[in-house]
Amino acid sequence: MLPVSIQVRQALGKLVLPALLLLSVGVMIAGQVEKRATEKARMAVAGTLAPLWNMVSHARAGVADVSNGIRQARHLSEENSRLEAENATLRRWYDVAVSLARENDALKTELHWVPEPVPSFVTGRVVADSGGIYARAVLLVAGTQSGIQTGNVALAANGLAGRVTEVGPHAARVLLITDISSRLPVMLESSHAPAIMVGDNSETPRLLYYPQDTRPLEGERVVTGDQAGAFPAGIPVGTVHYTHPGTPVVQPFARLNQLTMLRVFDFRQAEIEPPGAPGHVPLTHPSHRPLALPFKTLLSPGQEG
Amino acid sequence: MPPMQWDPSSEPQDTLGQRLDNAARHLLPSFIALLAIIVLSAPLGLPGAAELLPPLMIGSVFFWSLWRPSGMPPLNVFLLGIFMDLIGFTPLGVSAFILLLVHGLASYTRFGLMRLNFLLVWCVFGLIGAAASVLQWALACVFRLHALDPAPAFFEALLCIGIYPLLSAVSSWFLHILDGKPAS
Repeated sequence: MLPVSIQVRQALGKLVLPALLLLSVGVMIAGQVEKRATEKARMAVAGTLAPLWNMVSHARAGVADVSNGIRQARHLSEENSRLEAENATLRRWYDVAVSLARENDALKTELHWVPEPVPSFVTGRVVADSGGIYARAVLLVAGTQSGIQTGNVALAANGLAGRVTEVGPHAARVLLITDISSRLPVMLESSHAPAIMVGDNSETPRLLYYPQDTRPLEGERVVTGDQAGAFPAGIPVGTVHYTHPGTPVVQPFARLNQLTMLRVFDFRQAEIEPPGAPGHVPLTHPSHRPLALPFKTLLSPGQEG
Repeated sequence: MPPMQWDPSSEPQDTLGQRLDNAARHLLPSFIALLAIIVLSAPLGLPGAAELLPPLMIGSVFFWSLWRPSGMPPLNVFLLGIFMDLIGFTPLGVSAFILLLVHGLASYTRFGLMRLNFLLVWCVFGLIGAAASVLQWALACVFRLHALDPAPAFFEALLCIGIYPLLSAVSSWFLHILDGKPAS
């Protein structure tokens, strides 16, 4: 302990709170200026805590399994008969699907169809719900070591969940489609009309910028569109629902508030390079966007700089 | 003969065990708050775990700053806030700023507040919680550069008010245990 008098110590004690308040304001400003460093710090903290969250999440899964087992044991016989009936229906659908797949193959061969590349994917466990009131995001235990990159697409069991925004060596943060900063190009499946799905931190993102002559229909399926080149077309997102007249929202297929596993797909959209065209501004990754304005292709050679 | 001088080393010194015990008593509230942040950000399937965390932190910082400031010094409040921001998706420093303000208000008014009965303290806390929620909403708007829906802030304020009696009861019981001298 430093040999200071009691008065000085009390005065210093009174200064601690204002100093810390100033420091937190400083941290706020520094966090806005040095976004890269902030992200690195966040991913470092998440990476160290990921094993702990993994443990909690495993324990929770175990408890859920036991309680589910006890609950299901009581309804085994009705469940069995229901499953048998469902199996019979599914067998019929299987036959239909096989014949349709064959027909599809035959038609593609007729048309000299160029096959699409098969996307690679990794599956990770969701270990933390790192959003809050003003954000919707989750943390996965899978990072650059598993081949995940920023911008990859995360799918839940039955629909789109979000996109990878930050990656550390062992953890990746996925921004969910319900977050307020999420803007996705989507397509209404029956009318093929483009729209933008805008998250607002609620369970149901809104649909905006659809053509005024083709309004979204209640119950219509919404799939991803490939307008900006960020997503492959046709990933199921959800169904249209009207909460009020004139405000269509999307009810996502993925149950975004109880995610346990996510598949992260690398569709290699960035590697598809369109042929050059006058006036075409190529889509670049935000981190290595050139500092100059991308208007060079629009200007005549003499006007540059 | 030189005049008698006060020598700090002649005070009765605590033994190592006593000092460790004291340190543990001072650190325990912050440690429990830290555990609450980690557990509530894990996907437990609890409804509204993400919404629950800020009111819980505001409530516990208020409670400990009011009744036992040595258990929740400003530095711990600051570190808890920064930790919350690092784990969550909030702009860095926002939670730290709000929690420090709550701590400052509670510790400046504590001698007045400690004489009031529980209902009045609850009312004061309701006002502070509402102000903190509004401030958080305002800061979120500033950092996103457009006006956000104020409904979550309203919900957070209500949660703050609603959670305080339960939090206060549990923390009071805990404070009672901490105050109880170890059986000797």
